[in-house]
Amino acid sequence: MTESRKRRLLTLLVVLAVVAAFIAWFAWYEFFREVPEAPWQAENGHSAQDMRFMYGSIGGEHDSGIPYWIVYVLPRVFPDKLPRQGLHKDIPGSGGLAAFGLSWEQGKDLPIGFTTKTIGFKRVAQNCAACHTASYRTKVDENPTFVPTGPAHTFDLEAFFRFTVDCAKDPRFNASTLMNAIDQVKPKEFSWIDEQIYRYLLIPLTRRALLQQEKKFAWIYIHGLPQWPEWGRGRDDAMNLTKYFLTTAPLDTTLGPTDMPSVWNLKKYKSHPGTRLNLAGDSWDANSVIIDSALGLVRAQPPSNEAFLDQVHWLNHYLDEYPAPKFPFPVDAAKAAAGKAVFDANCAACHASERTGTVLPVAEVGTEIERLKSWNKGAAILANETVKAFGIERRGLVEADPTGYVASFLDGIWLRAPYLHNGSVPSLRELLKPAAQRAPFFYRGYDLYDPLDIGFVTQKEQADRLGAPWDDVTRVATEYDVRWRSNSNQGHEFGVTLPQADKDALLEYLKTL
Amino acid sequence: MDRWRRRFCILLAIVVGVPLVIGILLAMRFLPDRPVTYANIEDHFKYGSTGGYRSAGFPYWIWKALPVVFKDRLPQNGGQGYEAFGMVFEPGHDLPVGVQRGRNLGVDRVFVNCALCHHTTVREAPDKPPHLYLGTGSAKLNLGAFYQFLFDIAVDERFTPDNIVPEIERQAGRLNPLDRSVVYPLAIALMQQRMMWLRERFLPMHPEEFGPGRVDTFSPAKALFSFPMDKLPDRELHCAADFPSIWNQGKKRGMQLHWDGNNTDVTERNKNAAFGTGTTPSTVDLEAIGRIETWLWTLKPPPYPPQYPIDQPRAARGAVVYKEYCASCHGVSGQDFTGEYVGKVTPIEKIGTDRRRLDSFTYDVTVNLGQPYAGEPYRFKHFVKTYGYANLPLDGLWLRSPYLHNGSVPTLRDLLEPPASRPQAFFRGYDVFDPVKVGFVSTRGEENGRTFFRFDTRLPGNGNAGHEYGTNLSAADKDALVEHLKTF
Repeated sequence: MTESRKRRLLTLLVVLAVVAAFIAWFAWYEFFREVPEAPWQAENGHSAQDMRFMYGSIGGEHDSGIPYWIVYVLPRVFPDKLPRQGLHKDIPGSGGLAAFGLSWEQGKDLPIGFTTKTIGFKRVAQNCAACHTASYRTKVDENPTFVPTGPAHTFDLEAFFRFTVDCAKDPRFNASTLMNAIDQVKPKEFSWIDEQIYRYLLIPLTRRALLQQEKKFAWIYIHGLPQWPEWGRGRDDAMNLTKYFLTTAPLDTTLGPTDMPSVWNLKKYKSHPGTRLNLAGDSWDANSVIIDSALGLVRAQPPSNEAFLDQVHWLNHYLDEYPAPKFPFPVDAAKAAAGKAVFDANCAACHASERTGTVLPVAEVGTEIERLKSWNKGAAILANETVKAFGIERRGLVEADPTGYVASFLDGIWLRAPYLHNGSVPSLRELLKPAAQRAPFFYRGYDLYDPLDIGFVTQKEQADRLGAPWDDVTRVATEYDVRWRSNSNQGHEFGVTLPQADKDALLEYLKTL
Repeated sequence: MDRWRRRFCILLAIVVGVPLVIGILLAMRFLPDRPVTYANIEDHFKYGSTGGYRSAGFPYWIWKALPVVFKDRLPQNGGQGYEAFGMVFEPGHDLPVGVQRGRNLGVDRVFVNCALCHHTTVREAPDKPPHLYLGTGSAKLNLGAFYQFLFDIAVDERFTPDNIVPEIERQAGRLNPLDRSVVYPLAIALMQQRMMWLRERFLPMHPEEFGPGRVDTFSPAKALFSFPMDKLPDRELHCAADFPSIWNQGKKRGMQLHWDGNNTDVTERNKNAAFGTGTTPSTVDLEAIGRIETWLWTLKPPPYPPQYPIDQPRAARGAVVYKEYCASCHGVSGQDFTGEYVGKVTPIEKIGTDRRRLDSFTYDVTVNLGQPYAGEPYRFKHFVKTYGYANLPLDGLWLRSPYLHNGSVPTLRDLLEPPASRPQAFFRGYDVFDPVKVGFVSTRGEENGRTFFRFDTRLPGNGNAGHEYGTNLSAADKDALVEHLKTF
């Protein structure tokens, strides 16, 4: 080889190396470059910690993140796939992501529980706050108050799951249609290169990823009335989600939709041994639940166990310390004091004692049992093995078949309506009636609070009394019929025979918890 | 060898050179983007581009052809062409005040700009020439009728190149084959597609009800956010509101403006209004809008015209009444907006005016309004849902009739009467001024073959109740107060 040839070859190699380096850098920049979140600042009466809980990434953007501009335009391109609520099955509840009943603060581009992170491109994922932020209004003409760690009783998670998959299945989910919509809203800096990336990579790949999820959602697609009721607002089928999402257990025929729980003040579970987490005491401790729930959101092994566990550690601390919210209406102190005596005589044995937080045999309480059947020892063993295989240590799920439901701590009970594990009783006042006299049909997921019944507006009488348009309630809230499978409002017939005055006093006291 | 080389070169020139030349020619034709700007800010406001021509612009010649081809679809009110919508042509201009022009995609494109709604004409008498004022709400413009026209022609079987192109050629002279066979037919098809899409979403907001000087402000936002427009509850519809005045923005900084006080940020309000001129976040011309913003920051309303005398002693007496009854909500004067409640919201139970405009702006629209301009530092962050109407400063009040947010009370003097005594029905769209009651003359339904819009306060959204401040004053005090308000 002559000198000049060598030199030419060398030049070629250098050029190739430079080009390759540029391509590598470009690919890294456009697809993998991780931009850390800005430090959280207190805002709108929420502390910096609250902001992190409500909007902070827990790592979901890596595997379950959807490109920002796709999330942005989906509800605009597919308004026909937004949930249709209540009796008005042909009427979508509202516009945009608001249709799902998500807690959404004014001045924010996405609802609470939606996180935005740039990993190459801007992606959106969910965090705990989507299902664990409560929304309430104390009167009609008032904007909602959002309580981080409260139960998201307005959020229709199942409708949201279905929406993403339904959009992906629709032929309109294509680069041309979505890019037309993105053109209307994109910022000036959205470059030609960004557009090509969206057009040829992100839109088709997102579609494929969402379609792949359809298999995992097959069990949701059989939901329909009345044998397979939909979850409706404020509920999810937590143990089946664990079975089919965290592990890949084969589909079975169980159905156990339950209320999304409050996750404030978790340190109460450390008050005495024997407490269990989850409605049927399925987990040993809060840490395990946080890990399993967060893994459900990450939808895969975390990209870094260390970062993931740091986040879990932070959540443990935040949720331990977050106080239950105070009742936002006046309380009659004297009446509440009288109610304390009624409580001590009738309720404290289970709800303010060593039994609180422990599993009671289902026969003793008599509530609906489908939820118990949705989980079992084998599923627990499989889930524990799965998490262990990720290299994550936790005390985990109780490897035994469920036998009953946990006797609840009652902190902040006022904001945890509807009541019982399946949300089958709309208010505390109703809960103090014999099961046969409780409302057999009501609407759930409307955020106007009724301080008289202690619960949200679920019936026309309440709406009329509080001045809310009933068609507004039926437009957004979801129907709940206690005759549908797993929806029974039987059981927990404690205190139902008390004199009315005692019940009223007891209700007053419960406001103070 | 030489021969082959020559042949190869020729072939190469043909294969590469010809497409290159064609490509360059096409690029020169279709790529340039030239907004129309004016050095004079008032001209810029009236005719300058906001960027809207890029995303929403009609090709200039189609704009010119439409009112001819679809003459029968124009409002049959005696007006010619675009004048039938209450648009105003200045001498020497072939586009109305409030229509911008710009070059984009190989054609001149036109669309409305801020001035369309925010200018008005005033005449002293039917036989006097109109005087043009900028920055207040238009008295004549019937935007709803313009929407209706576009939605009607979109589904008209005559909306085809066969009908429109010949009219273009009649006006513009013979088109070249590219324009005749490709550019205009394509533009007509795209326009029709776009207008059909808008038609489906905008028709449920009843544009035929707006009448001159009004628009349903936030239903278009709902429509663009894909709210179920045809299934909205009735209480969110029939909610047209008057075009507001936009002077003195600097002095109004931080106030809750928009009729229901839903945004305290001037630049957000302006950027939001700019959507109405056809812009999108990527096409908006921030420099052009910025010029207008800067101008509006200090723009003063026109003083009460000198040809109408003000009875000074009476006005002085009115000033005393004003101070007692009005100043805390509306400011010290037309220039000084200090006052405890100025720029703040009075709850609906208290103000008692028609609540439809308030109810149409729901919490769910508010949160969706956190999305526009996402990815930009100026993403909207200041929209809030309120439960009342805002107390506005009264600068240039004489030029802001009819009054109340929905324009349901024709004159200032009428506003000082209890609701039962206010006119139950009156006419809008007439620009002759009434210096006695202060407002446009609203009792005439016709002039020289032009008919005006009959506004019925009994229809939903048009209620003239509420704001009963000063209605118990003596007639003399009311007259004095009106006299004083002329000085604002």
